Amino acid sequence: MKKKLVLSVLFITSFFCLQAQTSGTSDGWLGELKGGVRIQKTQKLYWENGFAFDFASPKILESKVHLGLSYVTTRLGSAMGSNAIKQGNFLLSPGYFFRHQKQLQPFTRLNLGYFHADYEAAIFDVLPNSAFLFSIDTGLSYQFKIPLTIHLGAGYNLNTGNGSSGPGTLYPVFYQMSIFYTILKQK
Amino acid sequence: MIFRLLMISALALASCSKSPEIDNATMLDGDQIFDPSLYNPAKYLVSAAIPNPTTAQKNTPVLIAVHGYTATTFEWDEFRTYTNLKTNILLSQVLLGGHGRTYEEFKNSSWQDWQVPILTEYNALLNKGYTNINFAGSSTACPLVMDLIKKGQIGANGMKRIFLVDPIVISSNKTITLVGLVGPMLGYLESTNTTAEEGHYYHFRPQETLKQLLNLTEIVRKDLQDGYNLPTGIRMKVYKSIKDPTADAVSAVLIYKGLSNSDGTKVDIEMLDSELHVVTRLAGRDNVTQHDRDIQMHVFDDMYKIITQ
Repeated sequence: MKKKLVLSVLFITSFFCLQAQTSGTSDGWLGELKGGVRIQKTQKLYWENGFAFDFASPKILESKVHLGLSYVTTRLGSAMGSNAIKQGNFLLSPGYFFRHQKQLQPFTRLNLGYFHADYEAAIFDVLPNSAFLFSIDTGLSYQFKIPLTIHLGAGYNLNTGNGSSGPGTLYPVFYQMSIFYTILKQK
Repeated sequence: MIFRLLMISALALASCSKSPEIDNATMLDGDQIFDPSLYNPAKYLVSAAIPNPTTAQKNTPVLIAVHGYTATTFEWDEFRTYTNLKTNILLSQVLLGGHGRTYEEFKNSSWQDWQVPILTEYNALLNKGYTNINFAGSSTACPLVMDLIKKGQIGANGMKRIFLVDPIVISSNKTITLVGLVGPMLGYLESTNTTAEEGHYYHFRPQETLKQLLNLTEIVRKDLQDGYNLPTGIRMKVYKSIKDPTADAVSAVLIYKGLSNSDGTKVDIEMLDSELHVVTRLAGRDNVTQHDRDIQMHVFDDMYKIITQ
């Protein structure tokens, strides 16, 4: 119930930001900046939700390359009101978007970042609970006529835990959906 | 065109699924080597060994020791040797359903089948009037018993202590999460048993049983995520190797967070400085160190002390 409430708040908040849209006319670097929510499910493990930003500039390969920034955590997902491990992922995601002037754009990204899990008891201090993230993902982006964009994708973590090293709840396959509001767009 | 390509791919992948080449003379998977408890249950099960227990026997602590996935009663033989020197403890070594037989029987078994003999021995001991029943499980035996506790099938009646040795809730091999997708293409996985282990552990792991293992651990993980308590009167202790190549040590974290004693206090967890999976079984392994032997004896002594105190 709590989980649904937070997801609803995250979703609705992105719509309140509709008024924040402006049209950039600056030096041309600021192509497009989007912000929104990211909902992520790991195959056979947790829901991890949070925030995401996506930036593209006409001066970087004519906006074909985007730079993403996101944070997802079980604190806004499976760990809400349950005993799931509290963990979070910070990701920096450069990606290539095909058909960049169309509404439907396939994309592929490289995700680099940091993972941290909180085991909450000193007895588990002997276990690895953080790791650098290195994953690839691919998916589809759809830009609506209103300033909203949705990303649907699937990814693969290349450095999962293996029992001897790496956090045990760092799993390989994940699916994600991001809903963005266009905060800034250069005309 | 796309549909045709998909069909060709599916057929090509299906053709990769093959039966393993089993050496009947040396492998448990074959039709010549079976778990010895199938021939001589009385040597392994207290319920079969003592048809009419005396009052003194009924009040003697009984430990039901259960092995893990692909293993046999062999996994607790060293504890049998240990308890043979004691007079105040009885030991039942239970063989999981589907295990200790042929590859085909293992392949066709479900995790519910694996669970049945545990409950059968527990109920048999209860019916014979035993008042101090204890449980020790290694690896997959642990989620099987946690599921029985959650379902209320192992209750406060007679059960006193539960010991979990290297319980698996999260596998160390994370690619097992993809078994539903790639399993049918592979058919089975091959283990790296030592020569001495070949007659006691399945060499080949059918993808069907890996799916069963994944289903079981998924159910238990979600139960722990929701949280539940042990029945009144039962206490639990978990022994967990910190660098376990099979059952990720984070499994202990999930048990600690999700399972409490009946009064709400946390279950007892001991993290062990070991790189072995199932620290209590050293027989058949290569390169066993004195440190491994010390840990094994520490766990045996600790369990014995707790049961008989």
